[in-house]
Amino acid sequence: MIPRPDADSEDRVIFLRDAKFTYESGVEALKGVTLVIDKGEYLAVVGGNGSGKTTLAKHLNGLLRPTGGQVLVMGVQASTRTVAELARVVGYAFQNPDHQLFCRTVHDEVSFGPANIGLDGPEVKRRTDRAIAIMSLSDIRDRPPLSLTLGLRRRVSIASVIAMEPQVLVLDEPTTGLDAREADELMSIIRMLNDEGTTIVLITHEMKLVAEHANRVVVMMDGKVVLDSDTRGAFSDLGLLRRSKLLPPPVTQLAHRLSQIGVSKDILTPQELVFELTRGDDQ
Amino acid sequence: MTGFLDLYSEKDTFLHRLDPRVKLLAVALISVLAFILAELLYLVVLLCFILLLLVLARSSYGKAFFALKFVIRFMILITLLWPLFDRSGTPILFSIGPLDITEPAVWRGATSAVRVGCFATVWYILMFTTSQRDLVRALVKLGLRFDYGLALAISFRFIPTFGLTIESIKDAQRARALELDRGSILRRSRNYVSILVPTIVYALRTADTLALTLQSRAYGAFSNRTYLREIRMRASDYVALTVVVLILLLPAMAKYICGVRI
Repeated sequence: MIPRPDADSEDRVIFLRDAKFTYESGVEALKGVTLVIDKGEYLAVVGGNGSGKTTLAKHLNGLLRPTGGQVLVMGVQASTRTVAELARVVGYAFQNPDHQLFCRTVHDEVSFGPANIGLDGPEVKRRTDRAIAIMSLSDIRDRPPLSLTLGLRRRVSIASVIAMEPQVLVLDEPTTGLDAREADELMSIIRMLNDEGTTIVLITHEMKLVAEHANRVVVMMDGKVVLDSDTRGAFSDLGLLRRSKLLPPPVTQLAHRLSQIGVSKDILTPQELVFELTRGDDQ
Repeated sequence: MTGFLDLYSEKDTFLHRLDPRVKLLAVALISVLAFILAELLYLVVLLCFILLLLVLARSSYGKAFFALKFVIRFMILITLLWPLFDRSGTPILFSIGPLDITEPAVWRGATSAVRVGCFATVWYILMFTTSQRDLVRALVKLGLRFDYGLALAISFRFIPTFGLTIESIKDAQRARALELDRGSILRRSRNYVSILVPTIVYALRTADTLALTLQSRAYGAFSNRTYLREIRMRASDYVALTVVVLILLLPAMAKYICGVRI
């Protein structure tokens, strides 16, 4: 489902209109990005290093303010709101969990955000318990977060963001440094959050994650959106992905190689390829 | 603060090519000269000479402006405050309540301001034209233990990286609705704990990794280490050295041997 910019704004959580951003150093990181994100989407923002994807993400909760164009969050100009106000709507989990962990226990860490947005005691407790349960951290809730493994530290940092119960959750490279199993566990929890209605914005250059989880892909290159389509569409143009310094998952590359014998090019998972090939055998 | 460490720019002027040891000595000798000179006129001449060197160093306007801004502010402050605390001499120019502003004090204030200006700007010549690496190399060559030189070089190197990390930590906490500049002083200082702890943890982790990296590159394996790039004095460096020594010696001799008031 690709939302049209002129669609009814009821479901529209984020709207960037020709957003531009130039860093103080003079680097033009966003050169006019227009993007609509609807409620409940699972959106992947992909692109090579320096393509502007993290700069884009930092506009969603006001950490950066556009130097041109507009950013609307829930229909309201983001420029009129503080980061703390926007944080209730847009949660942002940073790539490096060590940049935010500082408390003595996992429980304290997770309750930091909810306490900051001025909720009362019982509500802070309810949200903290919920976030700890969702991220399966109950067994270690009294441990110091900084002494945990990277996989767990990342889960604590994401828990500390979802404890604010934001409608939109921005995840910057959430699987960096995790092993396959930790990454799978984390991604299935995020899938579940999305099923419950949280809008997910996944920033990554890991195309396997995108193929398996996202239902819409925004490809960024050189500060511009060069492709905005459903996930299948994004994987059918290998040339564009290569120009954007992205590597499609091996199964998609294989499907493209096999396209001469009639395999479709928009294969995203091994299961689909098996299905496609065995169907071919029947004919 | 990082701005002061970022003054160097890669250029090809005689000041850039000069042996960093000569530059260090020049800074020291010109500072001594600024002490010796007592007359405002000669100090102004010295300041102009230093500023001329800064122009010859061809630094960017932005960096020069940034650097000189602080010196000029300081000089104005000294000129204004000096007569308030030094009330000796006559004639009295005017009085503000119990304060007498005397003419000699005003001149002494201006003289001290220009002298401080000389001290500060002469360092800028070094910083505008010498990379941190060359500076550390020169210090080691002059007898600083290599360990200390390396520690110094590493601290220079990591200050910008540290700055970026602290920015990122601030952003990460602001994304969790932390408001650094809201609430009482107690609340604000507690807020800063959430920045301070990750910063310290990051520093310790970085130091740990760095130590391992150094060891794995055989740091300290041999006590007499060799260098890829030796700094050597060339003929032009000796000429510069002579000029610098004369710049100090001639006025010093004029003052202390011939008794000229300068």
